[in-house]
Amino acid sequence: MSTLKHKGKGPQALTANGLRKGPVVYLTPDYVWSTDYADALITEDAAAIEKMGETGDRDEDANLIVGPYFIDVEADSGLPARYREKFRMNGPSFDPGQPTHIDHNKARGALIIGGEK
Amino acid sequence: MYRYDEFDHQFVRARTAQFRNQVERRLAGTITEDQFKPLRLMNGLYLQLHAYMLRVAIPYGTLSSKQMRQLGMIADKYDRGYGHFTTRQNIQFNWPELTAVPDILDDLADVEMHAIQTSGNCIRNVTSDPWSGSTADEIEDPRPTCEILRQWSSLHPEFTFLPRKFKIAVNGATEDRAAIRAHDIGIQIVRNDEGEVGYHVLVGGGLGRTPIMAQSLNPFVTREQLLPYLEACMRVYNRYGRRDNKYKARIKILVQEEGIDKFRSEVEKEYAALTPADIAVDQEEIDRITAYFSPPEYEDLSDVDTDYQRALETNAEFKSWNDNNVAAHKIAGYAIANISLKPIDGAPGDITGEQMRSVADMADSFSFGEIRATHEQNLVLANVKKADLFALWMRLKEAKLADDNIGLISDIICCPGMDYCALATARSIPIAQQIYERFKDPARQKAIGEMKIKISGCINACGHHHVGHIGILGLEKAGVENYQVKLGGDATETAAVGAVTGKGFEADELIDAIERMVDLYLDKKEGEERFLDTYRRIGMDPFKEVLYGAA
Repeated sequence: MSTLKHKGKGPQALTANGLRKGPVVYLTPDYVWSTDYADALITEDAAAIEKMGETGDRDEDANLIVGPYFIDVEADSGLPARYREKFRMNGPSFDPGQPTHIDHNKARGALIIGGEK
Repeated sequence: MYRYDEFDHQFVRARTAQFRNQVERRLAGTITEDQFKPLRLMNGLYLQLHAYMLRVAIPYGTLSSKQMRQLGMIADKYDRGYGHFTTRQNIQFNWPELTAVPDILDDLADVEMHAIQTSGNCIRNVTSDPWSGSTADEIEDPRPTCEILRQWSSLHPEFTFLPRKFKIAVNGATEDRAAIRAHDIGIQIVRNDEGEVGYHVLVGGGLGRTPIMAQSLNPFVTREQLLPYLEACMRVYNRYGRRDNKYKARIKILVQEEGIDKFRSEVEKEYAALTPADIAVDQEEIDRITAYFSPPEYEDLSDVDTDYQRALETNAEFKSWNDNNVAAHKIAGYAIANISLKPIDGAPGDITGEQMRSVADMADSFSFGEIRATHEQNLVLANVKKADLFALWMRLKEAKLADDNIGLISDIICCPGMDYCALATARSIPIAQQIYERFKDPARQKAIGEMKIKISGCINACGHHHVGHIGILGLEKAGVENYQVKLGGDATETAAVGAVTGKGFEADELIDAIERMVDLYLDKKEGEERFLDTYRRIGMDPFKEVLYGAA
């Protein structure tokens, strides 16, 4: 059984940071990790949530990701419910970096961690 | 400035090699994240909201041009082209990858730098007055003392697992530019009636969720007694500091709960039980370290430079920068040039790699190759000839570093906030930018005069909001950013914790609220009063009235 608990209500997504590079990642329907929130698996299904939690534990043990945890997702918008998680999804609202966080992700495409790739 | 000796080089290199091995083991999975996390934190590596963040120590805020260039190289090679100067005179890189950090630490070690003492429950990097050595109000240059404290505290085996982090600041001038009363231990260099130089030790200050100003522990500790005396303080804290509750673990809580007299008597007991000579540094070593900070080779100059005077008379823009950013130097013909890292379109404390190299070049041309970082997130060239100020200003303009707002309302201390920090509850950078935007008219800024606005994005208070003339604390209320306002804080020798005005403001109301308070001050000010002086004279009520309407 997964050690990852969620206390939230409604749809859930699973997030973490990539171990090697540190980016924010979300678990996808293919049970790999993507830096793009649009790829995130969002579900209320208890069996799926259990499997997500197990994947989080497994991939943390496999040194792919760090600190996985469930986040609540707004049912209507499909966006993270918590204010903080909206920021984590979008990157800094002020970003002087070259290229910016958003441009960087766009230019490289979503980074996928895990699976066969 | 201080140069590493063989021992310094050896321990930094050994530590870097050790961390490389720890990263390799983490990536290979032979150590878990739970095991790795305290190790990476001991090397300044955090995992923040979006990415890893590496915090590099700048001992007492002093940097050589060579070190600054290397920081610029690191910003460009391993990060996204910039770094961020913090309120602890350190620099942070916001986007390093874990796999690159061992190389970054090697590159830092090449220029006698590291990221030790920037995290963890140890004695952190010692901070000080950024104008050290250059002002007439100085009793003694604090840097030799800071360097002695650095050598004593770095990897001190007994103080590596304290109840909580521990911050020491040293000030050598009569004016406190190091915010010593906001530190766990504040050290004020003093001269006693016999003319002997020693240390006034204050203890139990700190910001965070429980702001307390430090109290006087011992009005005069001699030079020989300093390290043994501090060692006694640390031992008392290490033994009795609360380990049961992270939020009550700082020394300020111990001193508050036990009382300063009880704490002092425990320190005295401990001091009596140790052998001071085992810990104290001898005069030879003090002299050796002090020699590194001998004054640079100042030229014998007239205090009046006619070209400089002419530039001031003919160039209003230069004069404005000079009036706001340049401070008096103790040596005739020299000045202290403060470089603002508070542009209207940037984040307070941010600087690009290219700008770091420009500042390094300017330091080489005009200030004996040395740079200071300030806890107000600016930079200083502390020894510039007045005759060179115009040329320096031209170079600053070219580098987009010529903002003329030091000490003014747009010179804001600001933590990274929700934009970067994993602990934050609201953003702080956009608030700083909006304040600057509202008050961008230079004449208006000047009319307002000295104003310290300090913004923190959570109760941990990295943005020093408790000691801002106006302090702003960002919180989250039901998914909306909400900002609490404090008034009357002061980080200097007249230190005070600000008082909360009342109900918080949403971001779009906050700037108007600040403007109403500033207008009230301008209306009520008498003579040369600063905002803080007027607040102290008229009290909170009139400010409450403009914020919330008549009671």
